[in-house]
Amino acid sequence: MLARHAESLFWAGRYLERAEGTARLLDVTYQGSLQVAGGEGRDAWAHVLDVLQARKEFDRRGRTLDEGAVCTFLVTDRSNPGSIVSGVATARENFRTVREHLSSEMWENVNGFHLDLQARNIAADLTGEPYALYDLVKVRCQTLGGVAAQSMPRDETYSFLRLGWMIERALITCRLLNVNYASLGHDDYDAMLLTLRSASALEAYRRSFQSSTNPTHIAAFLLQSRSFPRSVLFCLQRAEHSLENLAGPSTSRNRAQRILGRIRSQLEFTDIAEFVTGDVHATLDALEQSICDIADVVANQYFRVGSEYALQSQYVLPGEAMV
Amino acid sequence: MTHGFFDGYLTEDFFDEAFEADGAPRPHYRQLIERFTNLGEDDIRHRRQLGEDVFKARGITFTVYGEHEDIERTWPMDLFPRIIPASEWEVIERGLAQRVTALNRFLDDIYVGEQAAINDGIVPRWLITSSSGFEREAVNIPVPNGARCLVAGIDLVRDRDGIYRVLEDNIRNPSGISYVLENRAAMMKVLPAAFREHRVRPVDQYGRALLRALRNVAPPAAGDSPTVAVLTPGAYNSAYFEHAFLARQMGVELVEGRDLVVDDHVVYMRTTGGLQRVDVLYRRIDDAFLDPVVFRNDSTVGVPGLMAALRAGTISIANAAGNGVGDDKAVYAYVPELIKYYLGEEAIIPNATTYLLWDPDQRKHVLDRLDQLVVKPVAESGGYGIVIGPKASDEELAVVRHNILTDPRNYIAQEVVSLSRSPSFTDDGLAGRHIDLRPFVLTGDRVEVIPGGLTRVAMRAGSLVVNSSQGGGSKDTWVLAPIDQPIDVAVDGDDVPEAELV
Repeated sequence: MLARHAESLFWAGRYLERAEGTARLLDVTYQGSLQVAGGEGRDAWAHVLDVLQARKEFDRRGRTLDEGAVCTFLVTDRSNPGSIVSGVATARENFRTVREHLSSEMWENVNGFHLDLQARNIAADLTGEPYALYDLVKVRCQTLGGVAAQSMPRDETYSFLRLGWMIERALITCRLLNVNYASLGHDDYDAMLLTLRSASALEAYRRSFQSSTNPTHIAAFLLQSRSFPRSVLFCLQRAEHSLENLAGPSTSRNRAQRILGRIRSQLEFTDIAEFVTGDVHATLDALEQSICDIADVVANQYFRVGSEYALQSQYVLPGEAMV
Repeated sequence: MTHGFFDGYLTEDFFDEAFEADGAPRPHYRQLIERFTNLGEDDIRHRRQLGEDVFKARGITFTVYGEHEDIERTWPMDLFPRIIPASEWEVIERGLAQRVTALNRFLDDIYVGEQAAINDGIVPRWLITSSSGFEREAVNIPVPNGARCLVAGIDLVRDRDGIYRVLEDNIRNPSGISYVLENRAAMMKVLPAAFREHRVRPVDQYGRALLRALRNVAPPAAGDSPTVAVLTPGAYNSAYFEHAFLARQMGVELVEGRDLVVDDHVVYMRTTGGLQRVDVLYRRIDDAFLDPVVFRNDSTVGVPGLMAALRAGTISIANAAGNGVGDDKAVYAYVPELIKYYLGEEAIIPNATTYLLWDPDQRKHVLDRLDQLVVKPVAESGGYGIVIGPKASDEELAVVRHNILTDPRNYIAQEVVSLSRSPSFTDDGLAGRHIDLRPFVLTGDRVEVIPGGLTRVAMRAGSLVVNSSQGGGSKDTWVLAPIDQPIDVAVDGDDVPEAELV
């Protein structure tokens, strides 16, 4: 597969997961804003920006940080590459460039997703009741995940798509915990609900820990659950699986596999009781950074093939400086 | 005999594809007209919508380059297909094969041969060397089997008497075949029963035939299974949909210039498994952008070093570099002579009547009748720069006159061909609209014509401009199989799908 195509797939996966994560966060935050609860006064919309690591990008626009501005920025702002509308358009463009690798169902679904968003009056959604919009985004993203699983062979195409998808999901869950962890400390039921709902984890969590508001339980679940598909561990395991598919039958591990394997096993075998007594933020920051590092190693290994040719002096044209 | 749905349809003073001048349906359209009559307006509206939805859902679009931003449009297909009976097609097929064979011979003669057609006085040397499509960089670069016009799209029109004429040869990078296949796929969804009543020859063997033709020009060193790739300028090109479509149909990679590197005169693509050698490139970028080392040095879509690799014989490209000299519209005027010269045959399909403007007598004749003729720049395609005399303003005619007098080599003039019309669905209901036909011709181990082609429709009333970039529509084109012969679908006849052997 062409290196550029692999990169397009990887990023399409990341953008789609980000769109779903954004829709879910906004949905949950909107619902949280409807009732007067223990969370009142907490800067919920700023937290959304923090989870998506979009605070800097938002601040650069110099707008007052309120619901309207945050939603517009995260949903429709075309100058924000991470907004839902931009992300879906980019995923569609990326899919278009690799269309010959995709099943028709896959392409038609992403194209339909894009057309749905284009046809909607999103400004009206955001000033009115935004549920239908967020549902549309979540259902479309989940459908795409299902269509991919049901219609695509487990080849390179699928593996790069899944890899991006899983890495983005691991990052979002990790940051979600990182941003909300401080508020979890005081037997705060609302904070617990908000955090778990934002990861679509509440129902699954209750089956394991009922209504415990113990931060240790919440952290253990979001980080280490072996069965919940949005836990960081689960996502890293799936990402490892994709890397294995890409590496083929080789017996030795390549660099990306070694690094990811290390991060995954460190997370898997961490004693969560020790984790919560240490500097939780620093640990989670480090985990986030490691996940970003994996993305970089993957890029070097698969996307930057033959980059040494870009600067070959024999192709420098008369009158042109070498870059 | 009344036709209900077609009541009030006027053929006017044109050759109508579906109806005789007296209003009777032509024999090969009778069943189709009856079917449309029986469908009723509601059903037809429903099916038209269905067709549009199919194209939209599948993302079948083309890009119109706009002044401010480029616009992505859904491909327009008219529900009423065009039918070409077997007897007519048989002549077209022979005529096209003859023409492309002669063009291949001519280009080989010019670039790697003795230039015999020039030396024997068939075409003037200055005409060739002054053609913007003549590439000195392509001289002495051989093409395996001389398949220089590997893919040709020859534009045909029918005049007022129903005679097919060649309007122009497109032998550089003709586009449109993807829409031929997509139109067919959509029509089979929206009008399946009509197919049952006709013996329509399939078109979906194209991808396989193209791949075979491309492999046929691979350098001998490539061995039995050469690596083929499609080279596109990228997702923002208006024909990108087609590039991706063809790569998918052939099951080969769709590459951009930045995916390729040349090392020691060998072309490789960057893959997740490292560098992989490429043997044949079906390039869909113009000569000028192919290789910034040799051609335009501001090209960012090309491959530095590609021409050197070509000269070294480690890779082949299709269509060959320098084909533009063959579809220069002034050279087009000589094609009937070239057919006679190389093949010893009369041209089966005539040209449209064409005037060469460096000839003082022809030029005077043209300038006297400028408001009755069509004037075209010799090197453009896509309908750009064409001035249709009867529709042009005085100012436009004055500009054309000035242009001709300044640079007579750069223009030709043609009699206005009163294009045939076909019943088409317009905003004002069913009405006759002018159409043309672009059949596709492949040069593999033999010259092969895909049955049908892209029928383009000038959707504005009275308009003769069919280009999709200028608001044209399209029709599925049905070539009917001869009555008592089985339908030959496969290139080899080896794996004929059962369903098609009705």
